Amino acid sequence: MSSPSDANGDLLIILRHAPHGSSWLREGLDAALVAAAFGKSVSLLFQGDGIMALIPGQGAGALGQKGTAATLDMLAMYDIESLYVDASALDRFGMTPDDLQLPALPVDDATISRLIAVHRLILTF
Amino acid sequence: MASTEIDRYLTVVERDVALDPEGYLVNLADWSPEVAQAMAREEGRELTDEHWEVITVIRDFYARYETSPAMRPLVKAVAQALGAEKGRSLHLMKLFPDSPAKEAARLAGLPKPANCL
Amino acid sequence: MILHILNRSPGTSLVYRDTLSAMGPEDRLLLTEDGVLGALTSQVRHFQAVQGRLFALREDLVARGLIGRCDETVQVVDVDGFVTLTEEADKTVSWF
Repeated sequence: MSSPSDANGDLLIILRHAPHGSSWLREGLDAALVAAAFGKSVSLLFQGDGIMALIPGQGAGALGQKGTAATLDMLAMYDIESLYVDASALDRFGMTPDDLQLPALPVDDATISRLIAVHRLILTF
Repeated sequence: MASTEIDRYLTVVERDVALDPEGYLVNLADWSPEVAQAMAREEGRELTDEHWEVITVIRDFYARYETSPAMRPLVKAVAQALGAEKGRSLHLMKLFPDSPAKEAARLAGLPKPANCL
Repeated sequence: MILHILNRSPGTSLVYRDTLSAMGPEDRLLLTEDGVLGALTSQVRHFQAVQGRLFALREDLVARGLIGRCDETVQVVDVDGFVTLTEEADKTVSWF
C-alpha cells in the first residue's frame, strides 16, 4: 500500500455515495470545485459506495440528469489531483485500480485515518 | 447557469435571440459567431483573432466537461491550447475585462460559470 | 484527537463501518440521532473496536425512550458534553 506523499492540503472531501441515487456525490464534487476555484488545495477520498463514481462508462440518468463522469475528468483542470480510493471498498466490489477512470491511489484504513488527521478541514458527502 | 427567464431580445441577422437578465443566451443552441459579434458590439467592442481563439477554447471546454470553467481552469485550458504566453490571467483580463470567465462564457454562448466570483 | 459523529443506526446503514475504519487510535465516536441505537446493549458489539471512546447523546436517547437501555460501556453526554467533546477535538468529521 503506497502512502500519500502530498497529503497535507486544506480540505479533504470524502465521497461516500454512488452516482445517480442521490445528489450527494454531485454536491461533494461541487464543493471541491468551489474550494479549488478559490485556490484551496483539495484532496478527494472515494469511500464505500463512493468508489462507483470512478467506474468508466457512466452516462446520463434515466430522466436525462447529468452524470458525474465529465466532472471527474474536469478535476485535473481545477488542479484537484490528490485522489484516494478506499482499498477495502475496491476489494468488496471485486475491483482493482485498473478498473477506474482516474488514477486514484488505493488507501488502507490506517492511511484513511491519517488523511483525516493531516487535512485542515474534512467534509463528508 | 443561464436562467430561463427571457429579459429581452438581441436581433442578429434579422433573427431575435433571447437573452437572460445577465445577458447570457436563454437557448444555448442559438449561438453562432454572429451572435458573439452582436453581443460584443453591444458593449462597443470588436472581437479580434485573440478573442476568437479563447472563445473556441472555452466552447471546447464546455463540450468536453459539460460545465463553464471558473477562472483558474479557464487559464489552464487556454495555456494548454494556446501556450503559456496566452495562458495567463492578465491576457484574459485584457481581452475580457472585469470577469474573463463570465464574459468569455457569455460571448461563447455558454451558461454563466457556477463556481465563480 | 478527532471527534467522529455518526447519526445512522447500525441496523439500517453500514456507514458505521466506514466510520470505524477511518478512526485513528485516539479518535472518539459520538452517536447522535438514530446513531444512538448503536449504543443499546444489544447493538453495541458493532462498536467494540472503539470501546472507551464511544459516546452517545443523552437528548437523543431520552427522546427515543432508550436512556435505560444504553449499554454501560457507552459514555452518555448531554449537549454541553457534546460541546466539550468538540472543543477537545482537533476537528470533527460527520458520518451520515
